Amino acid sequence: MVIIGENIHVIAQAVSTAIRERDARVIQDLAKAQTEAGADYVDLNVGPMKKDTEETMQWLVNAVQEATDLPLSIDTLNPVAMEAGLKTCKRKPLLNSASGKSLSKEQMLPLAQKYSCDVVISVMTDKGMPPDVESKIESIMDTVAYANELGIPNENIWVDPILLPISTAGEGQRFTVINLEFINILEDVLPEIKSTVGLSNTSNGVPDELRPPLNRTYMVMLERNRLHSAIADPLDKELISLTKGGMPEIVELIYRTMDGEDIALSSLSQKEIEYVKTAKVLMGETLYSDAWLES
Amino acid sequence: MEYKAPTEEYTGVVREVTIGKGRKSLKIGGENILPFHFFDKGSNPNPVKFALEVLDMEPQDWPEHLIQPFKNVIADPVKWAKKCEELGADAVFLRLVSTDPAVKDSSADEAAALAKRIAEAIDIPLIIYGSGDDKKDAEVLPKVAEACDGMNLLIGPVQKENYEVVGKALLDHGHNASALSPLDINLLKELNVKLCKFFPAEKIVIDPEAAALGYGMEYSFSLMERVKQIGIITKDNMTMMPLIADLGGECWKTKQAKEDKEQGLLWEGITALSFLLAGANIIVFRHPETSSLMKKITEVK
Repeated sequence: MVIIGENIHVIAQAVSTAIRERDARVIQDLAKAQTEAGADYVDLNVGPMKKDTEETMQWLVNAVQEATDLPLSIDTLNPVAMEAGLKTCKRKPLLNSASGKSLSKEQMLPLAQKYSCDVVISVMTDKGMPPDVESKIESIMDTVAYANELGIPNENIWVDPILLPISTAGEGQRFTVINLEFINILEDVLPEIKSTVGLSNTSNGVPDELRPPLNRTYMVMLERNRLHSAIADPLDKELISLTKGGMPEIVELIYRTMDGEDIALSSLSQKEIEYVKTAKVLMGETLYSDAWLES
Repeated sequence: MEYKAPTEEYTGVVREVTIGKGRKSLKIGGENILPFHFFDKGSNPNPVKFALEVLDMEPQDWPEHLIQPFKNVIADPVKWAKKCEELGADAVFLRLVSTDPAVKDSSADEAAALAKRIAEAIDIPLIIYGSGDDKKDAEVLPKVAEACDGMNLLIGPVQKENYEVVGKALLDHGHNASALSPLDINLLKELNVKLCKFFPAEKIVIDPEAAALGYGMEYSFSLMERVKQIGIITKDNMTMMPLIADLGGECWKTKQAKEDKEQGLLWEGITALSFLLAGANIIVFRHPETSSLMKKITEVK
């Protein structure tokens, strides 16, 4: 699993202050920490970047490149900021992200072609979020065909199905199930294509201390279904260990749960029980509630 | 060749909850089929029940056509409750609205004394709801539970904010709990999980919030339907409880119901009918005519 480190994100107060005050050290520390923790890319989520767009982006990319040799994922909806970022990257970057929306097709996809970089393309279209597996596949096939015509090959495209919070009243679990299935069939309909997800979205709205088990378990489940990468928190040691082969018994247990095996919880440790219960809510087998580990 | 209609058989069974004691008792729940799926394998041993609502003070904002059936008794909650019994209600639903700090902020002791008087005066089971103010209910409901010790009433609303203190009092004094969460199946399950850590699941009724027609009814409908499906089809232990649809108050505060009697009866009736279909096990009405009409409808064979 290719891990795109998510920690340089303007929503974090420290990051937005550091960018505004040009305090490179804060940003560089985050980049170094993620590199050491095992990230494969560093995501730079800069928001809309309305002021001093180009200069700010160049400063940020250069600051991060001084601290790490990892390739960068430039994460903004602002095409001017995007181009400034891509231009400044020393290694082949990831354009994060484009979508099937007209504006994105006109402004973002040509940049991916121009800089021959990798590009995240989400399933969103002008009509919004496709509600089920079939319409997600349909939307992404259209957008990928468009990208191919621009000269962007499938192997440069990382499809994002858009994860939604599992705790969304009533509906959230339906999405976790749909996205598992979507990832599972994606490569069959679009050979050579890659994929990525904003992993932490799954646990958005869930009490902080309960977020890691959801993120970790879902990553293992998606990885089994051939997910190529995840934008995630590399500082979560257990998450990294799960994907780098450090916890094969837990991975096996999650797989058995996915296969519908009737696992006797009494023979398991507390941690193992939690992974089984979490897999069951993520695959929609038991109804989610914030107390899912307690019942 | 003979045609045989396909039938389903489910694994989940809704817990049967008894409200009240002896001859002053009724049972709700116990079904192992989806609502009105009489063609499937299984049964519903306890047809839906109908409660009439009584307030602990003279209503301030009720239209004349809603007061009319109770006009000589409406200033006296005990007489009002007796009247409901005469009108054929399966249960009386007492709402302690005067305890609300925003209404009269009347004391927990007063409320408890009234609750006990009503419980003793009527020969049908009693359901008691606080004002819904979670802090005040945490004072009022334990006192009510104590005053009615051992009567096995249904008392609520038990909410996320006060389930520990209210739940404990209900347990200590032998009552059932009505667990209320705001229109969300995940929150509803969470509350049941937490409550069940010390409170018996067989004594819990789910109140998913029953919004009125035109005011979010479809949300309540989908939610009740889902609670039933998840309980009966997937056998989720934390949703296999009977459902209460507390809809009278929601319906009669609408502009449409206040305007005109016929419109009001229809508003309450259509809302109730929808929740019947969604799987409500007990319904709370304000107008006795709606209640009688719905009873008639469900008895049609």
